[in-house]
Amino acid sequence: MKGDMYIAHSTDKEILEKAEYGGVVTSLLKFALESGKVDAVLAVKARDGNRYDGVPVLITKPEEVIETTGALHCASPNIARFLKEYLDGASDLKIAVTVKPCDAKAIIELAKRTQIDLNNLLLIGLNCTGTLPPAKATTMMKVEFEVDPNDVVAEDIEDNKLTIRLKDGTEKEKNLTELEERGYGRRENCRRCETNIPVMADITCGKWGTTDNNTTFIEVCSERASDFITAAIETGKIKVEQPSSDAIETRSKKDEAAIELARQWQEKDFASLKEMSSDERQNYWSEQFSRCIKCYGCRDACPICYCKHCYLEADRGLVTGGEVPPDIIFPMVRSFHVMDSCVNCGQCQDACTMELPLSRLIFMLNRELVSIFNYEPGMDVEQLPPLKTVPNQELSRSSA
Amino acid sequence: MSIEYLPTICPYCSCGCGLYLIVKDGKIIGQEPWKEHPINEGANCPKGKNAYAFLYSEDRLKMPLVRKNGAFQETSWEEALNLISSKLKEATPENFGFIASCRNSNEDAYVMQKFTRVAMGTNNIEYCGRLCHSPAAAALIPAMGGGVMQTSQPEIELADCFFLAGVNLQETFPMIARRVFRAKDKGAKVIYTDPRKTATARHLADINLHLKSGTDAALINAMMRIILDEGLEDKEFIASRTTGIDELRDFLSKVDLEEAERITGIPLEKIKEAAITYAKAETACILYDQGMSQHYVGTDNVRVHANLALLCGHAGKPGSGINSMRGQINGEGSGDMGCLCVFYPGFKRVGEDSAKLFEEAWGVSNLPTKPGFTYIDMLYKCSYLYIVGGDPMMVTPDVNNLKKALEKVNFLVVQDIFPTEISKLAHVILPAASWVEREATHTWIDRRVQKIDKLIDPPGEAKPDWWIICQLAEKLGYKDKFNFTSSGEIFEEIRSCIPPYKGITYERLKKTVGGIHWPCPSEDHPGTPSMFLQKFNTPDGLGHFQAVEFKPPAELPDDEYPYVLTTGRSIFHYHTGAMTRRTPKLVDEVRRGFVEVNPEDATKAGVKDKDIVTLETRRGSIEVEVKVTDEVPPGLLFVPFHFADSCANVLTIPVLDPSAKCAETKVCAVKMEVKQ
Repeated sequence: MKGDMYIAHSTDKEILEKAEYGGVVTSLLKFALESGKVDAVLAVKARDGNRYDGVPVLITKPEEVIETTGALHCASPNIARFLKEYLDGASDLKIAVTVKPCDAKAIIELAKRTQIDLNNLLLIGLNCTGTLPPAKATTMMKVEFEVDPNDVVAEDIEDNKLTIRLKDGTEKEKNLTELEERGYGRRENCRRCETNIPVMADITCGKWGTTDNNTTFIEVCSERASDFITAAIETGKIKVEQPSSDAIETRSKKDEAAIELARQWQEKDFASLKEMSSDERQNYWSEQFSRCIKCYGCRDACPICYCKHCYLEADRGLVTGGEVPPDIIFPMVRSFHVMDSCVNCGQCQDACTMELPLSRLIFMLNRELVSIFNYEPGMDVEQLPPLKTVPNQELSRSSA
Repeated sequence: MSIEYLPTICPYCSCGCGLYLIVKDGKIIGQEPWKEHPINEGANCPKGKNAYAFLYSEDRLKMPLVRKNGAFQETSWEEALNLISSKLKEATPENFGFIASCRNSNEDAYVMQKFTRVAMGTNNIEYCGRLCHSPAAAALIPAMGGGVMQTSQPEIELADCFFLAGVNLQETFPMIARRVFRAKDKGAKVIYTDPRKTATARHLADINLHLKSGTDAALINAMMRIILDEGLEDKEFIASRTTGIDELRDFLSKVDLEEAERITGIPLEKIKEAAITYAKAETACILYDQGMSQHYVGTDNVRVHANLALLCGHAGKPGSGINSMRGQINGEGSGDMGCLCVFYPGFKRVGEDSAKLFEEAWGVSNLPTKPGFTYIDMLYKCSYLYIVGGDPMMVTPDVNNLKKALEKVNFLVVQDIFPTEISKLAHVILPAASWVEREATHTWIDRRVQKIDKLIDPPGEAKPDWWIICQLAEKLGYKDKFNFTSSGEIFEEIRSCIPPYKGITYERLKKTVGGIHWPCPSEDHPGTPSMFLQKFNTPDGLGHFQAVEFKPPAELPDDEYPYVLTTGRSIFHYHTGAMTRRTPKLVDEVRRGFVEVNPEDATKAGVKDKDIVTLETRRGSIEVEVKVTDEVPPGLLFVPFHFADSCANVLTIPVLDPSAKCAETKVCAVKMEVKQ
């Protein structure tokens, strides 16, 4: 039932050989397909074996699930967008999806907006302490770790260290904060992210609370996942045991430590913006947005933006067509439309041609709103965003 | 259902940005960021963000078309090729001309020049690079030994000073502007020459030199004079790596700074500031484009900037140099492949030696040894023309006159993906496969070779350009020399006869995200991001100063034609508009052509925003919508050249650079009248 926790591992020999941490995620995905629980699996795999290039794949054959084993720390494809844009919001397909916390949150926000049918999804959550931007990561491997990026076979983030494992079995580690201060390490939004265990998914899977590399700690987070896990156990697809209280405590401690680190990053990143005087702030953002070339990269990457015919399009008349940079109304509308529901996925900043600190701005505004409205986006599909719950009375008052 | 993320490279400019296409059951349904690609790291500019819409435009050419009784009729490949081969048998090496494109792949371009030389026996092979960056080769081969971009895109960030010479970087190369912003955030200074106050002037540049169009040489000579007067030249670099400084010094000693101020319209103090900033930089990078090239003194303009770089020792190290910024996907590659009337592949100069070299390589005899006609000459002098992937009726100066010439040719073949202005005049139109409809390599701005895979089928009967040319060669009796069954086989031949490509293979390109920079002499060579680190490619290995006297533009305003007209590009459209004007999102941004008019001039002329005016020069006239803006100074009008319905090149002057044969499309005299 919801809240159940297990230490688990796969029983499938082939999966055990190839997968990490006991192959639980791979086995669950395979079982979901085999048992007819879902029609397809949406997961991420290294394109042509290149671990810096993770792409979403839609799999319908159980035997192909094994191609998606292993954590890819340099992959941050836009899973929510893939579902919404290319799979019609899972309207007529039951899909098991592997999700990082920000993927899960974005999917839930889109479900609130009726863009994704959550009833057709089984969200297999993956614990996450951050992803690395792939182009910078390859440079980091050369410059900081002094290795050929192609020789890396695994990365791991633990206790504020980034460890890499090479083909020949050797490992190298570096302090994560130091790397990040030099411009490497995780994506900026990931550093600030406080959600490491995606409890808003149906199931969460992670290594925290395990003592070896052969098991995964799982937590059942929804009633519908409960039946699924029970079936996986009963059919012998995974073997489970109860976690010790030490294991549970270790898991929470690791989570707390990562959250603390994220808060420090938030404080540091936001301070530079908050400490500016009003004039300085205006100058800073005007200068930043004057670089905008109106590529719409931020809007298109944002999982919260979902309007079919966006108000900012050139043919809508709000923003004059053909002007670069666009009027300041462009970034203003962008920010206001999404800030109540920003899930800090960082996709906007990744896609920005001019590397504007968009995720920093919008997530900072979001943190302010969270405290005002007591609303945490991406956690609960029943909880509607503040802007959607403004009573009509308030609307008419503001327009009067 | 099959749905896949498939990587490719943007089809537009020459940066070579990566992107993912989402292909569902054989059709592209979307695109997503490719974050691993080292050029753009997941970001794409407005054109790159709308990369594929043009492929599905309804008016794609899908069948060969033959003109019969004044109208085009669909026909089979067999019939079309038979007709073309019978006509080409009538042609002679003197009256046949082939124009390839900056849009072709390397494989296509290679086959086209080989066809022209082997099957048609002439060096009358050109591509549109002639109209933009031919001054690079003319000026920089003597100066430094090569007209290519000297540094790589990522290394641009190493510079602490940028000289953007006539390149509106933020709008025409946004992904390179991003690197300049990165450098700027670390303290780099940006100098910019452009008559217009573009987005680059307003937001990227620190020192704006709004010179009068076509006065670059006067400006740079003055800057060099100041640098010498201040003793800021790099004496050690000059002594060890250059020759000809004494002649330059003599020449510059006669340069009158006040006269330079008058000619350029830039206050002397500003010129001084720019000169000192550039000279004092640790690593300065000149990036230049058509603002310098498209003048009849384009070669001189490039020479004078090369002098500046050599004088200050800003060449021969990563992030520095004088860098020609080719604007199109294969601007570099089609030249490398030999689509120029003076160069065999690999920039081997046309002559007995090169002909012999390629006679051996190709197993043929009697290859042409005399240079062919250049692009514009060819259009006027050849009566059998074969034109691929380009529209001379949009991009050459004085198109009304060109039209008259083309209406008289015996036979015109146009091979393209859409009907174009020039295809209206064709006898046969052939449908070509485009971009991800075929497998091919291109060579991007920084000599970066990347491969594009075939991801979808071409529409109808459209075929890869190389395939069409090979079929035609077979019809003309050259099957054994064009017996290629895949682009990969062509690339193997390219590797065998163009030494800088020798170490690049399809297999390596498949594994190397971001591609490989030539020169790459062997398969274990990583490629060469920066050129000339040890020595220049000149015969003596030294950089050569070439003193340049300023010459004013060919046609200046007078009472009858009181304004200067300059032409150029916009961020939302691309060149002749063939692709972007079929892309709805980009059309929404800018629907039609326009002329930028300074508010002062607008008042004087009694025109307001959105009025339709007639622009008239001694060549012709167009009607176009007015955009009142202080982006242009009083006296200057700007018209983008993307729009067939208000074609800028009806107006431009067909005066050519004597060495490069590039046209002066950046300056002529024009009058403006409100349409009655």
